[in-house]
Parts: sequence; C-alpha cells; structure tokens
Amino acid sequence: MSKLGARSVIAVPYIWLLLFFLVPFIIVFKISFAEMQYSIPPYTELVEFVDEVLTINLNIGNYYYLIDDSLYAKAYLSSVRIAFFATIGALLIGYPMAYAIARADANTRNALLMMVMLPSWTSFLIRIYAWVGILKNNGLINNGLMSIGIIDEPIALLNTELAVYIGIVYAYLPFMVLPIYTNLVKLDNSLLEASADLGCPPWKTFLTVTLPLSKAGIIAGSMLVFIPSVGEFVIPEMLGGAETLMIGKVLWQEFFNNRDWPVASAVAIVMLLLLLVPITFFHRYQSRELEA
Amino acid sequence: MSDAAPSPMLEIRNVTKRFGQLSAVKNVSLSISKGEIFALLGGSGCGKTTLLRMMSGFETPSEGAILIDGEDVSQVPPYKRQVNMMFQSYALFPHMTVEQNVAFGLKQDKLPKAEIDAQVEGMLKLVHMTEYAKRKPNQLSGGQRQRVALARSLAKKPKVLLLDEPMGALDKKLRGQMQLELVDIIESVGVTCVMVTHDQEEAMTMANRVSIMHLGEIMQVGSPSEIYEFPNSRHTAEFIGSVNIFDATVQHVGTESSQLSSEDLDCVLQVEGGINALEGAHVGVAVRPEKIYMSRSKPEQGENWALGKVHDIAYLGGHSVYHVRLPSGKVVMATTTNVDRHEQRLTWEDDVYLYWSASSSVVLYQ
Amino acid sequence: MQTGKLSTWSKSFLSVGFFFLYAPILILVIFSFNKSDLVTVWAGFSFKWYGELFRDPQMLGAAWISLKIAVLAASAAVVLGTMASIVMVRMGDFKGKTAFTSMITAPLVMPEVITGLSLLLLFVAMGQSLGWPGERGMLTIWIAHVTFCTAFVAVVITSRLQELDDSIEEAAQDLGAPPWKVFFLVTLPIIAPALMSGWLLAFTLSLDDLVIASFVSGPGSTTLPMAVFSSVRMGISPQINALATLVILAATIAVFIAWWFAQRSLKSTTVVGDD
Repeated sequence: MSKLGARSVIAVPYIWLLLFFLVPFIIVFKISFAEMQYSIPPYTELVEFVDEVLTINLNIGNYYYLIDDSLYAKAYLSSVRIAFFATIGALLIGYPMAYAIARADANTRNALLMMVMLPSWTSFLIRIYAWVGILKNNGLINNGLMSIGIIDEPIALLNTELAVYIGIVYAYLPFMVLPIYTNLVKLDNSLLEASADLGCPPWKTFLTVTLPLSKAGIIAGSMLVFIPSVGEFVIPEMLGGAETLMIGKVLWQEFFNNRDWPVASAVAIVMLLLLLVPITFFHRYQSRELEA
Repeated sequence: MSDAAPSPMLEIRNVTKRFGQLSAVKNVSLSISKGEIFALLGGSGCGKTTLLRMMSGFETPSEGAILIDGEDVSQVPPYKRQVNMMFQSYALFPHMTVEQNVAFGLKQDKLPKAEIDAQVEGMLKLVHMTEYAKRKPNQLSGGQRQRVALARSLAKKPKVLLLDEPMGALDKKLRGQMQLELVDIIESVGVTCVMVTHDQEEAMTMANRVSIMHLGEIMQVGSPSEIYEFPNSRHTAEFIGSVNIFDATVQHVGTESSQLSSEDLDCVLQVEGGINALEGAHVGVAVRPEKIYMSRSKPEQGENWALGKVHDIAYLGGHSVYHVRLPSGKVVMATTTNVDRHEQRLTWEDDVYLYWSASSSVVLYQ
Repeated sequence: MQTGKLSTWSKSFLSVGFFFLYAPILILVIFSFNKSDLVTVWAGFSFKWYGELFRDPQMLGAAWISLKIAVLAASAAVVLGTMASIVMVRMGDFKGKTAFTSMITAPLVMPEVITGLSLLLLFVAMGQSLGWPGERGMLTIWIAHVTFCTAFVAVVITSRLQELDDSIEEAAQDLGAPPWKVFFLVTLPIIAPALMSGWLLAFTLSLDDLVIASFVSGPGSTTLPMAVFSSVRMGISPQINALATLVILAATIAVFIAWWFAQRSLKSTTVVGDD
C-alpha cells in the first residue's frame, strides 16, 4: 500500500478514537477535581486567571466525599458483588449451552447460535421490561403461584437483588455463550479421543482437557458480562427498586438529579480504576484475537 | 538449455534480504535465460520463498538488484511488474467465476473487451477448462483450480512466470500427472518460469535447472542430473536422494586417480581424477546406494570395498534397500533391483561384501 | 470438537437455556394482543394497543429520530470499523498500535454510564472552548454512537479479514491491480457479508442505546429508548408490549435476512476442500 494511503487509513479511525474516546476520559478526570457551581457549565475551572495570576484550583473534595459518605463505598461493593455472582450465574447457564452447541453438527450449530443471538438483537430495554411484568406482585409468577395455591399472598420478587441477578444473567447470557462457543468449536476432537485412548474417563477429560483449553473463552465471556454489569444502570433501575444500590445508578442520580457533575466524574473515575484490572485482562485476550 | 543465453530474462544480482537481524537471503546471484524452467529447491526457512517474493515484488531486496529482461525492477511494485505468480493456495478470487478470474489481469491493463474475451477463451482452452468457464472456484476440484490459477497467471503473457509450491495443495496421486501437464503447458507457451519447491522429485521432474538453497544461500546450481551425480557439498548430496558419506583423509593426489583413507574402511578409497585439497586434508567421499554392489564373495578390486553384516532390509517392491553394518559401526546403504522373483536374496545377519567403482564416488569438500 | 447427535444432557441444557431466553419475550408478545389495560391478566384478543401506538406522536417522533441516527451511525461505524480492521490485520506493526487496539477493544466492555458521561463532558468542553457543538442533539448522539459502534463493527470485520487468505489480495496485485483497486475489487466484495452484519449490529446497538443517548442528547432529540424508558417508569403499559412485538418482529426478520446472506456467501466464497 502506498505510504500516504496507508497513513490516512490509520489516521482517520485513530484520530476519531483519540478525540471521542481518549480525550473524554481526560476531561472526566479533570472535572473530577473541579467544584460544583450553579452555572453553565456547572463546574469550576481548574486553571484560572484571577487578577492576572494563574491559579490552579485542584479540589480533591469530591474524592474525599466519596470516602466520607459510606453510600458510595456500599454502592461500589454491592455493584462488584452483584456483577460477580451474576457472571458466575451466566457462566453456569452459558457454558453448558455453548458446549452443547459446539457438539452439534454444523447446520444445527448455526441455527442454535442464531437462536442464542436473536434476543440480543431486540431491544435491551424491552427485554428487561418483560421481566417487570413477570416478577411484579401481580405479575405472572405470583399470579400463577397463587392460582395453584402454593402461596396466599404475593412474594416480593420485583425490586429485589434477585430480580437484578435475573436481569443481568438474562441480558448478558449471549455474551457469555458466544466467546466460549467460539473457543470450544475450535477444539480438536482428536485431543478428546487421545485423552480417552490414554484411559481418561469423559468427566475427567472434560476437567483436564476441555475446560483448560476453553479458558480463554471463559475469561472473555466473563469479562464481557462482568465489566458492563458493574456499571449497569437500566437493570437495577427497573428491576432493583430503591433498595438495590449499584454504582451506575448512583452516577446517574448524581448527574441527572443532583446535577453534581464533579462528583459524578469522581464516581466514574473510581469505577474506571476499579475496572482497570478486568479491562486490561479482557484487552489482552481480545488484542490477541484481533492481531493473531 | 543449461547454458546461459547471452541476455538472461531474469537476473538476480547479489541480492540480500534482511528481516531485522535475520538474513533470509544472503548475497544470492542467479541468471535465468528465456524459456527456462528453473527450480529453487530447499527446506523450509531456506529463503526460497523470500527470493520468489522479491521476484514478484512483494518484498524489496535490502541489497542488490533484480533485473527482468535487462531492466532493474527492484523497486517496482508487484502490480507494475511483467511477472505473474501462481500461488500455493492458488488464491483464486472466490467471488468471481473462472472466466472472471482469468480476465482479471487483462482488465487491469484496460484492454478492449473483445480482446480480453478472445484471450480468456484461448487460455481456458490451453488448460482444458473451457466448459467450466462459468463456475465459481469452490465448485472446482483441486486439479481444476490449479489449471485456472495457471491460466490466470499466463493470461497477461508475463515475461516470467513464478510458481510457488505448485503441487503443494494437491494430493499425492494427482501430483505426478499435474507435474507433466504443467510442464507441457509452460513449454507450449514458452514462458520463462521460476518455481519454488521443497520436493526434490517435483523439482527434478519439472525443471531444466535446479538450485539448492540452504540458510539463505545458493549451494549449487545445475541440471537435475548434475545436482544428483555431482553434488558439491554434503548438504546437497544429503538433500537430494540418499547417500553414503565416508569421512576420509587425502593420501595421494594424482591426475588419473587419487587415494584416500577412511577409519570406516580397511581398504583404500579411490576416486577418479585429482582432488582440490592437499594431502592430509579431511574431506567426505559420497557414494549413492544404487552404485554400490553387493556380493557374497570377495570382489576382485583391491580398493573401494568393505565387508559387513546385513543390519536391515527395506523391501520396496521394485528395489530393496539394504542397510549393512561395517565393523566400525558405520551403516552403509546399498540398493538392488529385484529382477528375479525367485532369487536367493541376502537376509538379516548375512555377511556381505560391498564394492563400488572409483568413478561412482564424489569428493565433498564442505 | 466432536459433532453429531445431541446427547440428552446437551438437549436439556439447551432447552433450559432457550426457555429462559425466550419465555419472557413470548409473554411480551402474547400480552401485546391483550384487550385489558392490565398487562398480566388476559381479557381477549385485540389489536387496540397497536392502534394506540401508531396514534402516539411522541413515540412515532422518537422512533423516527432513532431510525435516522441508527442508519447514519451504522454507516459511519462500518466505514471507520473497516479502516480500523485493516489497520489491525493488514498493516503490520506501527508506533502506537497497542494504544490503537486498546481504544478499539475498550468500548466493548466500557460501562455505558462512563462512556455517556465522558462524551457529554467532552461536548460541553468543546462547546465552551470551540463554540462547537453549539447544542446537543442528533449530531452529538450520532458521534457517540459511531464511536462505540465502531468497536463492535471492527471486531466483526477483523475476524472475517483474518480468515481471508493474504495471497488472494497479493494475487490481485500480482495481476496488475494497485492497492486501492485490490481493496475495492477483491477485498471488499469478499468481506461484504461481514460489512453487512457489522452494519446490522451497529444499527441495532444504536437503536437500542438508552444510557449514552440520555447523556448526550439535548432538547428535541428524544430517541425511542428514551421515550420508552420514561413511559415504563410511569408504569407498565401494553402499548410498550405492542412496540416490543414490532421490534422483535423487525429484529427477527433482519437476523434471518442476515443469516441467509451469510449462508449464501458461505456457500459461494469459502474455498472448500477437494471434491
């Protein structure tokens, strides 16, 4: 490829991503050190000329505030906890599905895979909304259980943490199945046969051959579920009720309800730091896939 | 054909190619004349593919020059070179029909449509693929794909045709047949051809001249029989066919014949003509297995013989290969043609005399 | 992996999984035809909620805005994503490649609230210092969607490009086509199905996005998910079920078309073994 052509092919997406992906984070970082004020925009400048003297107003108050008010710590913790257990739930349902699909013959495989993906092509919001109708007090589950007389009065399902777990597993299940499937389908059958030939029973072959070889898929799938779940807003908002604390919801409220942009920025920065390890983990896997 | 014509069609002048610290091709010079079929033969990583890619323009030499028909093309990109390549995977465009594949190169030259059609028709006829013109590549068998790939690379009437492992994607049975068919087509067109292969049989069947590459260098260039009968190095001798090599010390250098001694043999080793080494120098003496005779009785000649025990026999139908262990421990291979069905053949642990003529041995200096 | 008939275990895993995935959707669809105002009590078949949906100017307006943004964002994301894939698969190493791949992969998992907030703050800062964008609306939503959709498109196209034999592109060059022509005559037609599915993916992602759009939208640019969200916050409405059914129908048709294309191209573009 000609030098100029090659450079412009690199430059266009590069500049776009720098401008609209990297620079925004720097600005969030900057504003997390600003102070809220009632103006447009609703934050103070970090660098100002006050009486022709350059002053830097670095305000770590937002971060202090996050530590001081236990609400934030609780929200971070419960976000990570909920995301973690939901990821495990998705893995427990997703792995056997991916395994079963990978073992089907080629035609069935494609059809099954399409069936896994189909729900995620419909609206996320609507799929979560579907669960409201199922879980609420006069929803399908409670009505059904009451009509066959197992319970006398509705059990609280909606606006509980359980509902959030269901929502996350439901919404993110395809993202767990897909990478594991991609990994398992590449697995050479002769490895399994070799293991059987060497005297290893099927369950042991699964544990010592299949599972370790699908590690990359498990990691990718888990990260694809875990990371966005930590910052999830729609699911806790619609299914979790006021009781369920999740950091995405806190950030949203800080921003839209309290209009405190600097604190929202600080919340975002801390969330990013929290997710840095899993994101690098994911990135290492993904860039291997992309560059291989 | 082995004599280089006055003005070569393709000339490689002191070409070196480095990838970082690694030199894939080291100071290679070659001259290939018009109409020749030339093979670059070597194992994987010997630099043959890099050399081919420099001829086609996908790599540029770090040093040296590549001339096509007298013109330096070292810096000319592949799409401006009058060189076409048949790729190992054939690289047929999957979204185009056979016809469109063959026409692709001609369309790039913006030839009038009628001319392109005529040319495509001629090419398809040449490779016997006329009736498959409207098919897509995935509807063809391996051999058919190869023919289309050949037609496509010949359509532009290139000055040099490059073949990258031409039989690499075919199964073994089809190879022999396609090798000869390919040569027929190439010779009927009269195009100069350079092929890369790791398969010595393929190189020797198809090419007029063969060059052996090893670690980025050309070890030897010659006709297939020259390379086989007169290898100039241990590597070449061992790479082409099988060979017995005796480590030997030069005893006496004469004009008619010369004598050497080897720790593996009790008798003197005698070779034809002189040796380009001083007395006392260490060299190798190579003898091909089919040039060694076997006998139960002691041969009459005083030199070039050995007594051993049959250690192993490989019966290959047409001929058998005997592995004979000498008292020194060295195992020597000898082949016999199985002419008589009822012959009383030598068997395991039999004592056997081996002998060969002075003109069968080749001195290897490196 | 071993292929063949599914075992009983496999079948039961799949049944449970698919029941979990499809039951809520099915329920949603069924109750969209319910006569009753109550979403969960069946009172007879009716199309009344579809009628109400099509008489709701707010919903229709929001849907129109969302469609426009989705088409434009998907198209731009396919262009950028294709360029990014070529950079990653075909360009070899260059300075800053690691940073480049990070910026491609990170948006795949970035929590939406962070992406939304950061882009909004960028637009505000740019508006302050450059005077552009003057106000937030469709343009800013478009930029935001292009950015995160590019990552998804790049993943889809990259995996297709990796499967593509380099020598096919080299053969085109060898036959006299300069690089730009190779791209348009050979590479692009071969990866077209991937571009198609990349476009569809980006289109749905854009159509589906609530959080990021909420951050970067302005007055007068309410997207469909934003309208739906504010409506369901008020409480459950069968009208949303009707909308959901239409969305599911559209998605199913789109996926089948995409699948059909993929199958067809699979038949005609992959070089299969000897026959």
